[in-house]
Amino acid sequence: MFDIQFLGLLNATLQAATLLFIAALGELITEKAGILNLGVEGMISIGAVMGFITAINTENILLAAIIGVLSASIFSSLHGFVTVILKQDQTVSGLILTILGISLSSMIGKSYVGKKLEVKIYNFRGASEPNSILEVLLSQNFVFYIAIILLIIVSFIFNNTLFGKRVEAVGEDLKASNSMGLNISKTQFVATCVGGAFAGLSGVYLTLSYVPYWSDGMTSGRGWIALALVIFGGWKPLRTAFGALLFGFLEALGPRLQTYGFEVSPYLIKIAPYIITIVVLIVLTIFKKGNSGAPKNIGIPFFKENR
Amino acid sequence: MNKYILTKKLKANELSTFYSFLFGLIIAFLIGSIILFLQSKNPLDVFSLMIKLSVGSLNSLSNSLNKATPLILAGLGISIINSVKLWNIGAEGQIFMGAIALNFVYINLAIGNSNVFILVLLVSGFIGGSFCILIPALAKTIFGVNEIITTLLTNYIVIGLTLYLVNGVWKDPNSLNFPAAAYVDKSVYLPIITSKLSSGFLICIFFTFIAYYLKEKSVFGYELRIAGGSELTALYAGIKSKQVAFIAMLIGGGFAGLAGAIELLSQTHRVSTGLSQGFGYTAIIVAAITGMRPIGIFLVGILFGALSIGGSVIQTIGVSSYLAEIIQASTLFGALIIQFFFTYEVKKVQDV
Repeated sequence: MFDIQFLGLLNATLQAATLLFIAALGELITEKAGILNLGVEGMISIGAVMGFITAINTENILLAAIIGVLSASIFSSLHGFVTVILKQDQTVSGLILTILGISLSSMIGKSYVGKKLEVKIYNFRGASEPNSILEVLLSQNFVFYIAIILLIIVSFIFNNTLFGKRVEAVGEDLKASNSMGLNISKTQFVATCVGGAFAGLSGVYLTLSYVPYWSDGMTSGRGWIALALVIFGGWKPLRTAFGALLFGFLEALGPRLQTYGFEVSPYLIKIAPYIITIVVLIVLTIFKKGNSGAPKNIGIPFFKENR
Repeated sequence: MNKYILTKKLKANELSTFYSFLFGLIIAFLIGSIILFLQSKNPLDVFSLMIKLSVGSLNSLSNSLNKATPLILAGLGISIINSVKLWNIGAEGQIFMGAIALNFVYINLAIGNSNVFILVLLVSGFIGGSFCILIPALAKTIFGVNEIITTLLTNYIVIGLTLYLVNGVWKDPNSLNFPAAAYVDKSVYLPIITSKLSSGFLICIFFTFIAYYLKEKSVFGYELRIAGGSELTALYAGIKSKQVAFIAMLIGGGFAGLAGAIELLSQTHRVSTGLSQGFGYTAIIVAAITGMRPIGIFLVGILFGALSIGGSVIQTIGVSSYLAEIIQASTLFGALIIQFFFTYEVKKVQDV
């Protein structure tokens, strides 16, 4: 029915999209609460290296995933501390988080470069050679289904629950949510840590399944794509998921193009997501008259005025 | 019940940035020491070796100053753009674009007089950097698109372009399998002043003063500050804020482009993906830590350049070169934390 190449492309697209989507969804939550965290790349690195080290030493995949997620979350709380509690610049703090995350993880993982992983995150169904779209969908990695569940939960929370609306309110109007009695600092701090945990899960997936090994700088810009995805998706979970599929497709397509007989450089395919995001961002801003869907208070520190 | 609230201090301490930086540096070296200690290395030995090998001799000092040059130039560019309260996260891409523009002009143009040629090449690097920030600048000033994201994304576009060029049309057949463009001719190398010190550092000093004058002393700098402030004030003062912001962004991008051009003509001598090792990102730390002051950027840039050189030599004794980056990033983190106490007052109030 479908040739094996197409199914291979689909499979690779889903895998690449999963990685990007989870990190993007985490950033979306953080940004909804009005905190911009440019440290996604660093948080993914930390999650990736900590998960990998745990997996090598304990051969316990669940423990590795938990350690990876937790350490990225704790690492992101640094950003929460500096921006939410100390009210410092979010751009600067996020950037240091990236630089610090990449250098720290390289240092921690130095003696683990090139080590072979004995355990991997399982696939849902051990089909040897999937030969229909359904089988591809069913034979994905566990993390793929976790991503779908997270998508449903996060969409539900933001669309249907008071809790979600409160988080959104904090990102939209600080003064109003303060007079409503919402605990702004707590919301923002927790949202930052949740975003970090999501990025950590992405990192765990990267080293325990997607690649699976550890080397310096292996996140290779995926954190930045995740940031771009949030904008691309207009701060909406479902649209972000579609964006992840598109960007994942482009990532999967790159190395395959030549087998299809196209003479396009894979390097040019690689920059396509970034160009698309810039165009989408500009188009969104024009059509919505300066409102791209971004939370209004993003990047603005909050402190109660002296009354 | 007691409640704590934050208030912004009315009068900021003049030297607060400097004190924060010092504290940050101390915190960073403490963190560095802990990391070294955990690796069962004596921190004092490692740090003294770093100092010795980064500033201990004329040779190593030259290396440090050469390393500082792109950090300072890109940092100055970032600080000019920040005068209008805009961020340039795209310095890394602008550095590469400066080098690409330089190489493009070098291939397509031949000028006999090498001094004139060098000048033309440097100018094309500057223009390349400006060109790189053109789209984010237009998008910001015309449509109001967030410049943090667009400048950030251009980094990856330009690095992708670099990969494409050095693996494709510009690939040097003599470089074997290493993806890089052909070397430029020795006649266009920037002259060496003494030891290993490139004259690129002199250009850097010159541009530090230009940036200082532009930001602090010129009418344009005044317009920048007004444009970065309230919109109404700018309107009242008759300043076209958008136009001013646009020009500031092009100049700032140009500074980073020039950094790339100097790096190519003095260090790498060819376009490759190794041309900038995250200089554009480190430059943001340098600029932010000094509160965007040109002279401060110059001094901290030298310190960070020396740290990078020190970091790369301690690999020989089995310490990861990432130690330098960790120290640089922690310095800013520490400084941000201390800065809090200079900008805000924590007041205890009685809850009613």
